[in-house]
Amino acid sequence: MRLPGTRYQEHGWEQVRKLLGQCSLGAFAGPGLDDYIDAMSAALSRLGSRFDGPGNSYGDTVRDLAFTLLYELQARSGDWAAFCTTLPSHPGEALLRKKFNDMYATLRDKVDSDNYQAACGRVCSPNRIYAYRMLDTAYHEIARLFADWRSHAAQVGAILGRDIDAAPIEVRQMQSIAGCRPEWILRWSASCDGPLHTRSKRFDALKDNPAKIGAMLAEIAEYEALSANRDADWRVDSGAALDWLDDYQRVMAAPEEAAPGPDRILEAQQDELDVVEAEMEIEIEIEIVEADPASMLLAASVSLPPGFMQMARLAEDPASWAARVMQEDGLPVRLAVYAKLTGPVDDVYPDAWCDPATGALPTMQQLAVLAGVSLPTLRKRRDAAVARLMNAARP
Amino acid sequence: MKPEDLLERRLRAAMLTASGVDHDCLVLADAVMLAAIDGSCPLTRGERAALAASPLTIRRFRTLSLDYAASLKPAWRESSGMLRAADSGAALTELVTDDGYWTLHFLAARDAATAPRVILQLHAQAPFARQLLADQPLLRVIDGAGAVVLQGRLDPDGECESAWPFDAPPAQHFQRSGAVFAVEALPG
Repeated sequence: MRLPGTRYQEHGWEQVRKLLGQCSLGAFAGPGLDDYIDAMSAALSRLGSRFDGPGNSYGDTVRDLAFTLLYELQARSGDWAAFCTTLPSHPGEALLRKKFNDMYATLRDKVDSDNYQAACGRVCSPNRIYAYRMLDTAYHEIARLFADWRSHAAQVGAILGRDIDAAPIEVRQMQSIAGCRPEWILRWSASCDGPLHTRSKRFDALKDNPAKIGAMLAEIAEYEALSANRDADWRVDSGAALDWLDDYQRVMAAPEEAAPGPDRILEAQQDELDVVEAEMEIEIEIEIVEADPASMLLAASVSLPPGFMQMARLAEDPASWAARVMQEDGLPVRLAVYAKLTGPVDDVYPDAWCDPATGALPTMQQLAVLAGVSLPTLRKRRDAAVARLMNAARP
Repeated sequence: MKPEDLLERRLRAAMLTASGVDHDCLVLADAVMLAAIDGSCPLTRGERAALAASPLTIRRFRTLSLDYAASLKPAWRESSGMLRAADSGAALTELVTDDGYWTLHFLAARDAATAPRVILQLHAQAPFARQLLADQPLLRVIDGAGAVVLQGRLDPDGECESAWPFDAPPAQHFQRSGAVFAVEALPG
């Protein structure tokens, strides 16, 4: 399923989820979020190329998506704290994997609901994203039943609301989700104790409400048709993608006298589908893996080329705004800041900044060694530098 | 743009839009932000503070700003070209517009029962190619005398084909009608 702005709603998500779960088993060592993030970054950087396949139809790889979600987690320490409180003191591997699966499944819908709001300006809760996905899944299930209507005549009859003897015309007419009628979704759910017929309050706003279901189906269909003949989001990587910064600066600096009063600030709007339930345990099966590649990957060396610091310094632009703000911090701290803010892999980084073994900026462990400080000290200095940059960037 | 400038702008962008504000929501309506972007109505002090404190709204601002900039790009209207070196004796097989974005291909009749064809082809690297394929405007090719050579809409491959409408073969026809041609979008 594709929706405006979303990145984690297609089939590739399954692989992203598995990758994050697998690496987490090796990377998790306690409630320290920074420890976890650094260990995960190192594990993801060192993975082989088999995770560089597409994770969605916008051209993001499975690894890209795992990284992005990890960085979102870094910015949401409250979610991490909540996650840690639900863990028993010595969780077994299967339970730990399931907990990580649940946490990332929840996080992806939070991230995608924000993506959706930024893309189309409409209020959207994580549970609404979940509801879109439920409807999309229901449509595919109905399409599957329709395709083999002879074997499922009773259920297809229940969905269409009449007895079936010959091939129903609806079977041929439903070419896409655009042709799926909301009543069919409701009757399908009734026919199998589906998601709209449980005691869960999650979809209360949709129960017995074909108009709302129809509007959501139409939205999925419309965007799928629109995005089908469009390639990857061209704005993400080109320099023009940052032109909005100039608009932002201009808008923030415009003379205030011309502005009318009073402030036109929106009240926080409640999404009627914004249902928070205690059990967010969704569509996740526990799987048993034979090997634990993450722990093997984590046993990596700190080795960098001998001349790394010198070459990396030469590659810096001392006149740049960021370098000036962080002048006193030293190169390892600056690299740690870049890795935190824009990720360890980015083609704008000079080659001299990257570990030739990984093509990424050095890990926090490597940088701590380079800086001659402990890992916690490096993190403190990095976060202080980020705070100074934030102050410099936000007028 | 130099890579270090690009890095710097990426950093600024990353900091402005970094999530982490609890219960962040859209704090300004699209219309309010658009009026600030196009300069028709600036934000009040309070609105600026609200925007700066909401990374989610800043991300919406980014979308609106980029869409607005895209809408200002001049749309394609017309490309023209000339008949060149027509005296080689060989039949004319193609003509290209001066901007290099369109080609007219001429296919001879296969036998007495079929007519010769003319195909208008949009080159994929034309800056307006994406827009034109999406908008599907009615296109027309005219010769120097204003007669219609071809009219229609592009197929998904960026091509539009029809029968060659004149009695004279392409080289002769264009020579007689001013040796120029133009591809244009019809309004509406």
